Amino acid sequence: RPHSRPRHPHARTMVPLLLLLLATAAHGLVQLNYKPTLASPDLGGLTTTSTFVLEQPRCQFEGQPNADIWLVVAVPEAVRDFNNSAVPGAFQDFPDKAGAYVTLNTTLLSYPCPKAPGEITVLRVGSETSCVDDKSRPTCNGPLPGPGPYRVKFLALEGSEPVAETMWSDPIQLKTARQPSSNPVTGSRHSAGMIALTSILTILFAILLAGLAAMLVFWRSDACGGGSSTFSKPEVVSVRRYNTHHVYDQPAARL
Amino acid sequence: MAKSDDGIHILQGLLVFGNVVIGMCSIALIAECIFFVSDPHGLYPLLEATENDDIYAAAWIGIFVGFALFALSILGIIGVIKSNRTLLLVYIILMLITYAFEMASCITAATHRDYLTPNVFLKQMLERYQKSETDNNNDKWMTDGVTKTWDKLMLQDHCCGVWGPSDWQEYTSAFRHTHSDADYPWPRNCCVMDAQGSPVNLDGCKLGVPGYYNSNGCYDAISGPMNTHAWGVAWFGFAILCWTFCVLLGTMFYWSRIEY
Repeated sequence: RPHSRPRHPHARTMVPLLLLLLATAAHGLVQLNYKPTLASPDLGGLTTTSTFVLEQPRCQFEGQPNADIWLVVAVPEAVRDFNNSAVPGAFQDFPDKAGAYVTLNTTLLSYPCPKAPGEITVLRVGSETSCVDDKSRPTCNGPLPGPGPYRVKFLALEGSEPVAETMWSDPIQLKTARQPSSNPVTGSRHSAGMIALTSILTILFAILLAGLAAMLVFWRSDACGGGSSTFSKPEVVSVRRYNTHHVYDQPAARL
Repeated sequence: MAKSDDGIHILQGLLVFGNVVIGMCSIALIAECIFFVSDPHGLYPLLEATENDDIYAAAWIGIFVGFALFALSILGIIGVIKSNRTLLLVYIILMLITYAFEMASCITAATHRDYLTPNVFLKQMLERYQKSETDNNNDKWMTDGVTKTWDKLMLQDHCCGVWGPSDWQEYTSAFRHTHSDADYPWPRNCCVMDAQGSPVNLDGCKLGVPGYYNSNGCYDAISGPMNTHAWGVAWFGFAILCWTFCVLLGTMFYWSRIEY
């Protein structure tokens, strides 16, 4: 009798899958469920125009105590084709000739687990300016050449053999500086205080000038036409003066 | 007759009192304007570089107006007591001229204070701070003034930029041409310094860790003294002019009452 024993419907696909898993296990590349992130937003320099600050991957690479942990920085277009085993491009060729480069290599000793509370554990990408043009330092942690975006991941290598990697981060966008002349400098409204001050002072000055003009007109008419004024009382003032003279003269006269 | 006699005496007394007050206020005006001209906060180079330092011109005019008012108040007192028409006419005309100058000073101080917005200082800081290639001597003088003033300001008042350290990131600047962003995200003087004048933690400063760099802007430290200066000159001058207005009107009326 043919097909006496019932077969599992997916038996055909399971064997290749098993083989694939075995192959992967033989290579030993562990896919860590960790996505690199930017550090705390409290930092003023979290992203600048050519650097950014990542959280350290603490307590992620405990299974690979002897590996060197590298940071891979790539443009988003190079993420899909990135080969962990291939020789990575140099920082100096990034991003035109090389879509990705590796930098900031360290051992697990630099990332002790667990993280001490209150400690700032960060990695500043782009802080090394001395090796920017030095071709002999392809793993230079130099300033990023443009505003990005960039994607990063951590890769653990034993020798040149990749043993563990994290997920790729979300695209990281850096700051772009704009020209200060785009700001409006003038266009300041005159404040209410200044307008009040100007108008009140002008009015007062105008009144004073009018008063001076009235004075001069009065003087002119007084000098030419004699005592035609209605508000001056010459006899009052004259009497006062004569009184004064008389007060002083009388004792002299008596003497 | 006695009533108008008393009236004239009262007017005389009031005018003498008015002139005494003008004399005292003029001394206060001189002192205030000398204080502002002496620039105790060291902000004059910033104004000089805006090429609009008219609030200083207003203070200088205030000093001379103060002297003139003092002399004229004495002349006024003598003129009122002696009831001399000529003296009082001279007094009134000279007072009007001084009044015009003081008016100019007040209006200048008020108008030009309105011109000094944050964007003016921001633009100037970005264009001149640590600028390396200067066109001529005048440019070099102004650039040096701006650089020294900002350095001193950031150290003394523990601040950075006009609005904050982000000014250096958001805008291109002359500083950025000579100092790379990775080494100097903001000037060194934005870092918290120790007693010897070097940063307490340079990496902390570059990262922007709170406590190792100055995260607030310097605009308050600039606008505070400038507002005091401008409004001090403008409003005190305004007060003196209002009082002088009353005294002058009274003097004109008194003059018209004197027998020639």
